[in-house]
Amino acid sequence: MRISKLAAVTAAVLTIPLAACGAGDSGSGGGGAAAGEYPSEPLDWTIAFGPGGGNDIMARTIVDILQQEELYPENIEVQNREGGSGATGWGYLLGQAGSGYGISTTSGSFITTPLQADTGWQPTDFTPVGLFATDDALILVPGDSPIQSWEDWVAAAQADRLVVGGIGTVNVDFIVSSLLAEQSGYEVEYVPFNEEGQLQTSLLSGAVDAMVSNPGSILGQVEAGEMRPLITTADERLDVLPDVPTTEELGFENIPSMPRGMILPPDAPAEAQEWWIETMQQVVETEQWQSYIEDNYLTEDLRWGEDFRTYLTDTQEQFRTILEEQGAL
Amino acid sequence: MDVFNDLGQGILALLTVQNILLLGAGVLMGMVVGVMPGLGPSAGLAILLPITFTLDPTGAVVMLAAVYYGAMYGGTITSVLINTPGESATVASTFDGYPLAKQGRAGPALVMAAIASFVAGTIGAVLISVAAPATAAVAATFGPPELFLVVILGLLTLIVIVGKNRLLGALSALLGFGLATVGIDIGGGQQRYTFGSTELINGIDFIPVAIGLFGVGEVLHTLWRGGHLERLGYFSVSSRSKGFWPTRADRRESRGPMLRGSFLGFLVGTTPGAGATVASLMSYNLEKSISKTPERFGKGAMPGLVGPEAANNAASAGAMVPLLTLGIPGSAATAVLIGGFLMWGLQPGPLLMQQNPEFAWGLIASMYLGNVMLLLVNVFCIPAFASIARVPFRVLAPIILVVCVVGTFTVNGSVIEVGIMLACGVLGFFMRRYGMSPAALVIALVLGPLGEETLRQTLLISDGSWVVFLQRPTSVVLLAVMAVLVAVPLLVPHLRRLVRARLEAVGRQRREAEQPEPRDRTTV
Repeated sequence: MRISKLAAVTAAVLTIPLAACGAGDSGSGGGGAAAGEYPSEPLDWTIAFGPGGGNDIMARTIVDILQQEELYPENIEVQNREGGSGATGWGYLLGQAGSGYGISTTSGSFITTPLQADTGWQPTDFTPVGLFATDDALILVPGDSPIQSWEDWVAAAQADRLVVGGIGTVNVDFIVSSLLAEQSGYEVEYVPFNEEGQLQTSLLSGAVDAMVSNPGSILGQVEAGEMRPLITTADERLDVLPDVPTTEELGFENIPSMPRGMILPPDAPAEAQEWWIETMQQVVETEQWQSYIEDNYLTEDLRWGEDFRTYLTDTQEQFRTILEEQGAL
Repeated sequence: MDVFNDLGQGILALLTVQNILLLGAGVLMGMVVGVMPGLGPSAGLAILLPITFTLDPTGAVVMLAAVYYGAMYGGTITSVLINTPGESATVASTFDGYPLAKQGRAGPALVMAAIASFVAGTIGAVLISVAAPATAAVAATFGPPELFLVVILGLLTLIVIVGKNRLLGALSALLGFGLATVGIDIGGGQQRYTFGSTELINGIDFIPVAIGLFGVGEVLHTLWRGGHLERLGYFSVSSRSKGFWPTRADRRESRGPMLRGSFLGFLVGTTPGAGATVASLMSYNLEKSISKTPERFGKGAMPGLVGPEAANNAASAGAMVPLLTLGIPGSAATAVLIGGFLMWGLQPGPLLMQQNPEFAWGLIASMYLGNVMLLLVNVFCIPAFASIARVPFRVLAPIILVVCVVGTFTVNGSVIEVGIMLACGVLGFFMRRYGMSPAALVIALVLGPLGEETLRQTLLISDGSWVVFLQRPTSVVLLAVMAVLVAVPLLVPHLRRLVRARLEAVGRQRREAEQPEPRDRTTV
C-alpha cells in the first residue's frame, strides 16, 4: 500500500520538470552598452510574430546566415514574442532602449499597429538598420472568372457591386484595394478576413469576386489555374508571372508594399547601428539571402539607416491619410 | 486500388531506423508539451518546428506528425485527469473523461481514448487516401456563409451540453460571448473593451480562460468541498490491477461512438475554421442524443469520452485534405505546417500532391505511423499517468495550481494572461458552486468571434441580405443538416417511447396468445 502511494507521488512529481523546462528559456535582458568592441554580448532577437509566418521565416533566415558565415561572434537567442499584432514583441524591444543587443525585424503591422492602438511607440522611435525587401501584393480573381485582365476588372467593378477580400482592416491589403479603386474610379466592397485559408476558400467558392494576396502564399493556386492574377504592386514584373502588369505600368501612384526590414531598440549606440548596417550589407549579398528573396517572391529594396527611417515616416503618413479618408481610423 | 498502393509505399518508405526514432521522439516530446495545460498541438508544432529545419522534409514531416498526435493526446490526459483541456478540441473530453477519473476509472478512460484516437487516425488516413479529391471539392465551396452555419452547428451542441438548467446555461454562454467581444473588431478595426492595453488587442485567448475555469476552478471547488481532507484522496482507485484495463462493456459500448466519431470528425475537419472543436462537440451531442441512457452522460459515460476523442483525431486528418489538395490551411496546426512547407522549399497549392507525391504520401503515411507509435508509447506511459489519479488531493492541488500558472505563462509569456487565468479560476469556482456551465462559456468564447466574423463577412458580401444562405448549394445542405440535428434530440425520446410501447404491445399480445406456455417468455 505504502509503496503504491510512493509510486503515485513520484508520478505526480514527474510533471514538475516538464513545467520547468517549458518556462526555462524565457527572455534574458539585452544589457546596456558595453565597453570596448561592439559585438561582445549575446544578442536578444525578438520575432514579433509566431513561428511559420513571413516575419518569422525572414528572421530565421537572417540568423541562419549570420551563424553560417560566422558574422556574429556571440550567441544569438531567438524568441517569438507574439501578441497584439506585433505590439508585444516591438514593445519588448522598446523596453531595451539604449541597448545595442536587442534586435527585431519589421512587417506591415510595424506601421499599422501603432495607428490603431496606443502601443506607446511609433516606428520612427526605433534605431533603423535598413529595409531589405518589400512583399508585393497581387489582385486575383478565380481561374474560371470571365474577367481576364485588369481592364475587364475595372469595367466589371464600374458596372456592378463587386466584393474584394483581404487580410485585416487596418492593413496593407485594404489600403491597396482602396487606392486602386479610388485611382481607377470604381467603388468596391472590401471584406476583411483574419486567416489566409478562409480568404482563399472564399474566393474559390465564389463568395468574393477578387482577393488581395502576396505572391509567396498564392503562387501555387495560380500555377494550378485556380486563380488568375490581374495586377501586381511590384516595381517590375515578377519573373514567375511575366504577363501580369505592374501598378506603375498602368499609371497608379504611391501603391504601398509590405516593408521587410530590421530595427534596433530606440537610442541604440551609433557603433551598434553602424556594425549592423555593414553586416547586413554583407548578408544581402549572400547566395542564401538571394534564394530566400527568390523563393518567397519578394522584391529587393535596399535602404540603409536614416533612409529607412524616412521611408517609415512617409509610409506611415500615407497609410494614416488613406485610412482616415476611408473611415477606418 | 492505386491509393492503397501509394499509401502502403508511403509507409514502407518511412520505415527506416532514423524515422522510427524520430517518431518515438516526436510522440514523447509532443506528449510532454501537450500535458502542459495551455500547450496544445498547434503550440507544440510551433515550438518544435525550428528543430525540424535541420532535417530533410520527409524526416521533418514524420517528426511533426508524431509531435502533433503526441500533443493532442497530452491534452486528453490533462482533460481526463485534472479537468483541464489543453485546447478547445478537447473540451468535450472533460465532460465524461473527468467524471470517469473521479470514479477511479482513469486507466480505462485513458486506454479507451488512446484506442479511439488510433482507430480514428486509421480511418482518417484511409479516408484521406480514398476521399480526398471528393471532400476537397466540397471544402472549396466553403465561403463565409457556410462557415457561419458550421459555427451555428457547433453552438447548437450547447443545448445538449447545458443540460437541465437552461437559464444558467444560457447565462454562461452569454458570458462567453461577452468575453469574446474583447479585442479589435474585425469589421471596422476599432478596439472593443481593451482599455488601452496592447495585450488585449488580439482579444482574450481561449487558453487562459479554459485553464482557469476548468483547472483552477475545479481545484478551488474540490478544496471547498473538503476534498483535501479525505483520507484516501479525492481520486480513489478501486483495485489496482483489475480496474486499469477497459472492461468488455467499455469496449462494446465504445465501438459505435468510435466509428461515428471518426466519420463525423473527418467530414467536419475538412472545413476550414473551427473543425476539430465543432467535430468533438457534435460527436458528444450525437452520442448523447442517440444513447439509450442519456442520463449517464456527464457522469462518466464511456461513449461520451470515446466519441469526441475519435472525432477530434479524425478532424485533424480531415484538416489535411484542404492542405494537400487545395493548398489551404484548414486549422491553426496546418497553418504552422504551411510555414514549414515554405522553409523546406515546397510550394503549397493545389499542385503540391502532383508535384511532390512522395512528400504528400509521406505526410499521410507518417500521420498513420504517428498514431501507431502513440498507441505503443501509451501502453507504457498510461500506467504512470493514471497513477496521478491516486495522488491524495492535498498533494495534487498545489501541483495543479503551479502547472496551470506556468503553463499559461509559457504560451505567450504574458503576465496579463496569468491574471486572466486566475480570475477565471475564481469565476469557475462560483460557476460550479451555483450550477452554471464553464463548458458553455468556453465554447461561446471560441465560436463566438468566428461566428461574428463570418456573419459580418456574409452580410457585407450580400449587402445585408439573408437570402444568400439559400442561394448557395452547400449552405442549403448545411441548413438541412441543422434541421435534422435539431429534430433528432427532440424526436428520439418520442420515437423510442413509441417503439417501446409498440414492442410492449406486441409482447403483451404474444404473451396473451401464448398464455398456456409461460416458458416462452424469454423471446419477448
